[in-house]
Amino acid sequence: MEFKYTKEEEEFRQEVRQFLQSESELIEKVKQEEISGAGWGPYTWEFMRKAGVKGYLTPSWPQKYGGLGASHMERYIVSEELAYCLGRLAAVGVGMAGPVILHSGTEEQKEEFLPRIARGEIEFSLGYTEPEAGSDLASLEIRAVRDGDYYIINGQKVYNTASHYSQYHWLAARTDPAAKKHRGISMFIVDLKSPGITIRPLTGLGKFRTNEVFYDDVKVPADRLVGEENRGWEYLIAALAFERTWYAGENIYELETLLDYIRNTKRNGKPIADDPTVRQDVAQLAIDIEVGRLFGLRIACIIEKGDIPTYESSMTKLFGSETAYNLAAEWMKIIAPYGQLNMGSKHAIDDGRPGRVLYNRATRSLITAGTSEIQRNIIAMQLGLPRG
Amino acid sequence: MDIDLSEEQEMLRKIARDFLADKCPGTLVRGMMEDERGYPPELWREIADLGWLGLVFPSDYGGEDFNFLELAILLEEMGRVSFPGPFFSTVVLGGLPILHMGTDKQKKEFLPKLCKGDLLATLALTEADASFDPSAVTLKAIPDNDSFILSGSKLFVPDAHIADLLICVARTSPAGEPDQGITVFLVNGESPSLERNLLATVDGSKQCEVIFKEARVSKNAVLGEADAGWEAIERILALAAVAKCAEMLGGAQRVLDMAIQYSKERQQFGRFIGTFQAIQHHCANMATDVDGMRLTTYQAAWMLSEGLPCKKEVSIAKAWASDAFKRVTFLGLRVHGGVGFMEDHDASIFYRKARTDEFSFGDADFHRNIVSQELQIT
Repeated sequence: MEFKYTKEEEEFRQEVRQFLQSESELIEKVKQEEISGAGWGPYTWEFMRKAGVKGYLTPSWPQKYGGLGASHMERYIVSEELAYCLGRLAAVGVGMAGPVILHSGTEEQKEEFLPRIARGEIEFSLGYTEPEAGSDLASLEIRAVRDGDYYIINGQKVYNTASHYSQYHWLAARTDPAAKKHRGISMFIVDLKSPGITIRPLTGLGKFRTNEVFYDDVKVPADRLVGEENRGWEYLIAALAFERTWYAGENIYELETLLDYIRNTKRNGKPIADDPTVRQDVAQLAIDIEVGRLFGLRIACIIEKGDIPTYESSMTKLFGSETAYNLAAEWMKIIAPYGQLNMGSKHAIDDGRPGRVLYNRATRSLITAGTSEIQRNIIAMQLGLPRG
Repeated sequence: MDIDLSEEQEMLRKIARDFLADKCPGTLVRGMMEDERGYPPELWREIADLGWLGLVFPSDYGGEDFNFLELAILLEEMGRVSFPGPFFSTVVLGGLPILHMGTDKQKKEFLPKLCKGDLLATLALTEADASFDPSAVTLKAIPDNDSFILSGSKLFVPDAHIADLLICVARTSPAGEPDQGITVFLVNGESPSLERNLLATVDGSKQCEVIFKEARVSKNAVLGEADAGWEAIERILALAAVAKCAEMLGGAQRVLDMAIQYSKERQQFGRFIGTFQAIQHHCANMATDVDGMRLTTYQAAWMLSEGLPCKKEVSIAKAWASDAFKRVTFLGLRVHGGVGFMEDHDASIFYRKARTDEFSFGDADFHRNIVSQELQIT
């Protein structure tokens, strides 16, 4: 048992930190783009390219595809440092599509897409959710029919965030409606500029931009099917086991910002930090963040050993996101009525960031990437409780 | 980075689990709650023979040379069955202070007997305030020629009624800061100047009031540095808090395991209750609490074993465990429904224990205060 990094891992961590510190001005601009809710803008793309050149986006991929051939622990280290500086980057190409292409794609697909993902040149939008398929994703209906050298795709996706700035759609579609629902799904890489695709904006709280995506007889080349037809669900689930986690860096950063605020802000003539209730609340947040950090570290250790995490993944996402919520809720409690002031208002604290960004984002994270309710169901099932 | 136990450590865990599952069924544990002594002597002899009493003491003093992390593993298994007997008090509250604070002569006098099972010991620290703050130490130790006279009383002293040795934390000078002027004494438990009263507890744990009626002790009975004993006691409290977390973890894991098992067996409305979402969510919440206890406890235990500074990590572990053990045992009892509420159900052993252990060596509020100090909030 060793609760510390090796000397080499620590050196790698310092190297990553130095890179991020050297790009601190650019990172500030990336954060402004994220805060705007509009999605990736030119600064985010610039950062992705710079991080990509260093191999930091996909460090554990083989070098021939643009990675560093790094260990999983090193990948965890990079992810934690990125999470601390940038919060949620949530890149789909890096985190969801890329790994499936790496493990199940053809050599041509790997060569066409992986290096560009690794270099931060392209991004994918996650094409999973539909109006009738949210938590019950396997019920998805969008239909892909083989026709010669193409698949013809018809249907609709919803809450496909990133469709408006990504080059590709990482699409889960039904290729066999006669099979049981989990066994008739295939994964496709779709060029979002394809004729027949319409992207319509939707707006979530805090001016959060997401999209409906409509497919009208869209022709997708057959060589854009990834892996085998009708085995898409397996690939999707396998990827989730490795990708579903939570990096504490985001919460660590936000806690530091909160500590800074309460140290330097007075109420009734005294710093808010002197209030014993606030001290207890903040200490509990620090405790919860540490528990969450250890949960994430546990997953890294499991994968590093060559095993596959099971309930640990759901537990980590569940707890990390609920901690992020509690942290945002504490902010709102502390700034009290100032929390009702929106971006651009006189007297707003940090331009309304605690409410508009933190609190809304935290609420959203209890729903995305598997709702807290679903995560609890999954944990119970993986602990051996019987299915309904 | 490796959060797993070594093969030898896994072996220690397995041996302990199998032995304790066999020797400490719920019937025995509940029986011992009513028993004044609180443990069967044959069981004590057996664990002495297994080397458990001497686990973390040097072989020079009759021990087994294991480290604190390994003691935590053993304590987790003992917590899993709610081991009946003065193991925690003798080893953690008695043995560790002697090991860390004693002279070679003192170690030779007490540790071999302790390791063999021939000496029971405990720490008499808390008083009526039930606080772990040094200002709560008011029991007086007045110098008198070659002796000290101890006057005052201690409360919530585990197993004092059967202890051969009481390690008493007393105040030798009231002037100055509260953490100054504290001296630790080795006191014979059989001394006629002590009045030891066993308190009736909800969870059956043996807690005592100990009244020191001008008890005379030799100056050779001073453990550690005279007038400067608090620093060492603080270190013991950190070890005790994490040791207690390990015990609590064992109990919490046991309750989770029972709840999962029951969810798979019990049927109502024509289906297993584990298929109901409320039960599923209770179990998921319990598992999150237990795993949080596991990781924070072992991180702190590892850091203490390595001699690394870990004030924050110790308090994170105890604050979490204080709250989590209560939540887990509460939900665990509710998953069992009515039967979980019965005194003769194992779930209720831990439900009661959690209410005691919550406060041992600092409750969540106490430890959150330490965390906020370590965060340098102000």
